[in-house]
Amino acid sequence: MSLVNLSAVCSHLNNATKARLALTSIPNSNLHLKLSLALQNSGYISSVVRGGPTPPPAHPILGYPAANDEVEGIESITRDNVASRRLWLGLKYWENESVLGKVKMVSKPTRRVSIDVEALRRVVRGEDTEFVGGIRSPGESLYLSTDRGILEARECVEKKVGGLVLCRVL
Amino acid sequence: MNVTRPARCLLCSFSRAATPGTRVPRRQFHPTPASLTNRKPKFPNVKSSPGENFKPYTEEQKAELAKQYTEAQMAAINAGEAAIDPKDLADQLHERSDPMSFKYLDDFSVIEPGIDHHQRAPLSNSDFKFQFKNNDDFAEDFGRFIAEMPDDATGADFVRWADNLRVTKGKEENELNAPSALVPDFFGPGETIDEPSVSEQKTAAELGVKERSAEAEEMTDALKSLLLATGYTERQVKDLRTKTLVMHSVTNQTRLGKVRRAYRLSIAGNGNGLLGIGEAKSDEAADAKIQSQYRAIRNMQPIPRYENRTIYGDVKGKVGATSLQLMHRPPGFGLRVQHLIYEMCRAGGIHDLSARTGRSRNPMNTVKAAYEALMSQRNPDQIAHALGRKLVDVRKVYYAGKV
Repeated sequence: MSLVNLSAVCSHLNNATKARLALTSIPNSNLHLKLSLALQNSGYISSVVRGGPTPPPAHPILGYPAANDEVEGIESITRDNVASRRLWLGLKYWENESVLGKVKMVSKPTRRVSIDVEALRRVVRGEDTEFVGGIRSPGESLYLSTDRGILEARECVEKKVGGLVLCRVL
Repeated sequence: MNVTRPARCLLCSFSRAATPGTRVPRRQFHPTPASLTNRKPKFPNVKSSPGENFKPYTEEQKAELAKQYTEAQMAAINAGEAAIDPKDLADQLHERSDPMSFKYLDDFSVIEPGIDHHQRAPLSNSDFKFQFKNNDDFAEDFGRFIAEMPDDATGADFVRWADNLRVTKGKEENELNAPSALVPDFFGPGETIDEPSVSEQKTAAELGVKERSAEAEEMTDALKSLLLATGYTERQVKDLRTKTLVMHSVTNQTRLGKVRRAYRLSIAGNGNGLLGIGEAKSDEAADAKIQSQYRAIRNMQPIPRYENRTIYGDVKGKVGATSLQLMHRPPGFGLRVQHLIYEMCRAGGIHDLSARTGRSRNPMNTVKAAYEALMSQRNPDQIAHALGRKLVDVRKVYYAGKV
């Protein structure tokens, strides 16, 4: 789990939303894929498609690349093409504002921040803990890497698991 | 062994009598008085017989009393005897021993200014325009006394007149029943030291209305155009909360020299969700103030408020080197913010907020950054639309929308 690469992804997403891009790509890795899917689950991004160096063709109806595109399909990973795979993320905008506001790392490559359920409960209620600030704004999320995959902080509290705090989305 | 008790000589405990329990707990850290009276008596079967000391008078005693008192007094005594049950006397007439009892004997029939509730001298009694009478006034009074004197006047008439003679002109009550220093004038509800009493305020308002109607004829062009642009009436504009927060002078360096002008930054709000800021420069300070206030009124915009008391989420604002953070707070928290933001919150109708102003605290930029921060709030409904998810305000759900 490289937090260096994840930090680069966060910065890249911030830059892409500021540039008002509709589609952007990040390096392919399991961590990036799971985080992207978590973001998609929360509604911050519209689509996550694994593709090659060029953007995958848009879905005929949706207008952006979709993972469940029956016409085009998704190229399966082989030993030859695995190095060139990238994740193509569809970015969302609403009322002239980017839906994905700002992605900020909580753990740093030099300092990993873990949190247990008790502290996470307080964070979710909006209270600050020692290393993790509370979730105090509407539409704010915190993503953790746990035993059960990458989850949002509220899901972690529901499932009573703690973990490594990855990033905060505002 | 109890740890809190000091160690004592073991033999001492034999020689000493049993420690009497303190009747009143020494440390009362709570306002509730110790309930000593509610304790059960040690021997519940032993009671002082009621009415022991309060037997009705016998016939012999009454005969003795009749020698001392008149018939009317005896009738009163008999009536009192008949009216009050001796049992009630025994039950109720005793010295109080509870913790709330008074430490002194008093029948509480007289109002003590320092102890009891304040008794105001009626406001109508005071007359601030009173004057002492001079010699001519006294001579006039004496002349009137001579003129109205009956034919069979005695010395007593003169004494009575001299006793009732007033030494001041003005309200009679002011001299005869003046407000006393021992019975100070405490404020009535809605009355402050600066403002006149409620009744006087009314007359002031009436006077003000007349003045305003005179002013309305000479309404300035700026005000006219403001009313035209905003659609407010003059009354509504007057009711808005405007405040000039920043005032300084600015200089333009020309080849003719420095040209100084007055700069004013004002805010305006209706105290219920509308807030605007306006800035103006003018040669005249008063003109700049009016201009900035009118611009603030024109610029008024609705600020999103959560439960009409605080903001949605924590927001940040940055203007120049001034960066600040506004944080939402629970009900009853109050406005723990610096004075400039406080005034903005008052004008805009925000009641619970805290703020942190980092880096520069330039007043002008602080106001602008706070306004920017207030306007940058994200509406949860819009966020729900954007995310495509259902967002629910848990407070509203739990309290059935009654919050």
